[in-house]
Amino acid sequence: MSNIAIKVEHLYKRYDLHKKGAGTLRDTLTNVWRNGFRSFSAQETFWALDDVSFEVPHGQVLGIIGRNGAGKSTLLKILSRITPPTKGRVELNGRVASLLEVGTGFHHELTGRENIFLNGAILGMSRSEIRRKFDEIVDFSGVERFLDSPVKHYSSGMYVRLAFAVAAHLEAEILLIDEVLAVGDVEFQRKCLGKMGELAKGGRTVLVVSHNIDLIKSLCREIALLQNGHLAEKGLTDHVIGQYTQMVQKTGKADHQFNLNSNKGIYIKHLKLLSSGRRMKREFFFGEPVCAEISIHSIDEEINGLSLAVGINSQLGQRILTSLSDQAGIQFGLKPGKTSRVNIQFKGLILHPGNYSLYISLRRGKLVVVDDLIIEDAFTVQEFSERADLKFEGHWGIIRIHPEWQIHKN
Amino acid sequence: MQNKTIIEPRASSLNHKLRELWQYRELLLMLAYRDFRVKYAQAFLGFAWALINPLINLVSLSFVFHRVANISTGDTPPILFTLIGLAGWTYFSEVFSTAGDSIIGAQQMVKKIYFPRLIIPLSKAITALIDLGIVLALLLLLLIYYRVSPGSNLLFFPLFLILAIMAGLTGGLWLSALTIRFRDFKYISPLFLRIGIFITPIAYPASAVPEAYLFWYFLNPLAGIIEGFRWSLTGTVPLPVYAFVGFALLIILFVGSLLYFSKVEEVIADVL
Repeated sequence: MSNIAIKVEHLYKRYDLHKKGAGTLRDTLTNVWRNGFRSFSAQETFWALDDVSFEVPHGQVLGIIGRNGAGKSTLLKILSRITPPTKGRVELNGRVASLLEVGTGFHHELTGRENIFLNGAILGMSRSEIRRKFDEIVDFSGVERFLDSPVKHYSSGMYVRLAFAVAAHLEAEILLIDEVLAVGDVEFQRKCLGKMGELAKGGRTVLVVSHNIDLIKSLCREIALLQNGHLAEKGLTDHVIGQYTQMVQKTGKADHQFNLNSNKGIYIKHLKLLSSGRRMKREFFFGEPVCAEISIHSIDEEINGLSLAVGINSQLGQRILTSLSDQAGIQFGLKPGKTSRVNIQFKGLILHPGNYSLYISLRRGKLVVVDDLIIEDAFTVQEFSERADLKFEGHWGIIRIHPEWQIHKN
Repeated sequence: MQNKTIIEPRASSLNHKLRELWQYRELLLMLAYRDFRVKYAQAFLGFAWALINPLINLVSLSFVFHRVANISTGDTPPILFTLIGLAGWTYFSEVFSTAGDSIIGAQQMVKKIYFPRLIIPLSKAITALIDLGIVLALLLLLLIYYRVSPGSNLLFFPLFLILAIMAGLTGGLWLSALTIRFRDFKYISPLFLRIGIFITPIAYPASAVPEAYLFWYFLNPLAGIIEGFRWSLTGTVPLPVYAFVGFALLIILFVGSLLYFSKVEEVIADVL
């Protein structure tokens, strides 16, 4: 018996960018009309995975990290057999369970009890297995009293707890997990983490894909880093996380151009990150003002009442703050072919050193979102070393403030 | 190691897929149960709709064809005659209309977890069996009421029933696979059903069709199936030879639907 649980050999996955697989009959007919029945290649292709090979021995918990679009989700989708690889081979030794989401297939009209059986069946559990674990699942979820009412009457917290409870009781030798843990309230998250740790220690092979560096750190001894579809690094956790942080800082830009990505006539065209002295940069010291210039372009529309919303997200994807330009009295209009530039300056940010993402949305009126985008790892906050009182070790969290401490001795 | 999974670019064989389908039979039944529960859960009259629907069809078809157009149904009472036709038609139309966009309806699931995709349209075919069962029960009551004794022909009824289920499955599988590729088929299916209700001998006998068209008429497998229902239940006119051409065509289309579906299945998650 081999000691290898997951063996990935030269895995490739290609996506055809312009091929509308689910096109209309008209597209296909015109294509056939023009090209005959020769293959409709000659489209732009994109390699989401480009020659990835690695092995995971039994009982190892391997974390997979990488920026957006590095191929993490594609890898997980192939291992879960949701989509086939273009080339290469994967061998999985043991019963596999994949959790790309909690509560897959839950139906809001069905009761909690029915959904446990339905979701369990979808995850590959047999009826007798679910029956055997039923009490444990209910116990873990804490929704006992509502077991026979439709889940549409559940609060979102209850819903997620029930969904996770089913997933947590899967009996599998190999678990493939995609950030499903960032759910529920804090207490329940802790419970989930505990369960995860338990699963990991129970001799199971686990593959976790996550943005959450803290989670990865607490679960995995080894990490694989994906970059543009390649396996850039695989090794001990601290080493690879160090590499990742460096990579983000080295390859990050302060200047982002965006393409029109739909048939909208107006879009966010350009984002520049600036220092308060209007110098382009993406690394800011702790406490330093972070400025951004956002350009909005209209191709062929004349429009009024535009405003912007800018948000800062943590690496876990959690929104830290959001600011609306119209609340600061900034609303603007555009004429066809014109560009407007809007500046925003965040002063007095107290973000803990690390990478942060920016969310920008262009809105018309109060409700209509004309265009929106997220720039992952848009800027980095660095330790500010000159002021000794602002630098301290052992800080966890997203923001950093300096409360006053006092001690009263009796 | 008893559990070993190999993932490779090319699709596994149909044989392997059918075996896998058997492993997932519990999920198949769960999904069918879910659809059944959900279908009637929100309606005020609930399950009664399963009875009301065929009754309304029965009365309106019978009124138009037998009171207004005055088409003769031979020795068989018009209501019974039409209900037999409906029994053959109901299942097909139900599966055809629900299985069509079933994959698109289940895309949340399809993108997040693996299971044989065939299960999705198949579960629709199982849910529709309940509606079929209700029509058949109604049919039994009418047979008793009109004191029609089927005789030994009845032995063949299960055979035609199997063909009817096969027709529903075939239609459902083709439509669901084609809808993944071409969304146009969402619009084609209601059109298809509307035409089908006229070119199938639901409320009129196939014998009313001019001789010259009979070959083409019976290429529609449902024509043969419904006439077969009538023959086995009321023992009237025997089936014309043409009907068997339709049955052969059905079997070819059925195998074809399985093959085509399993080909399209591979790319589902990428194109949705």
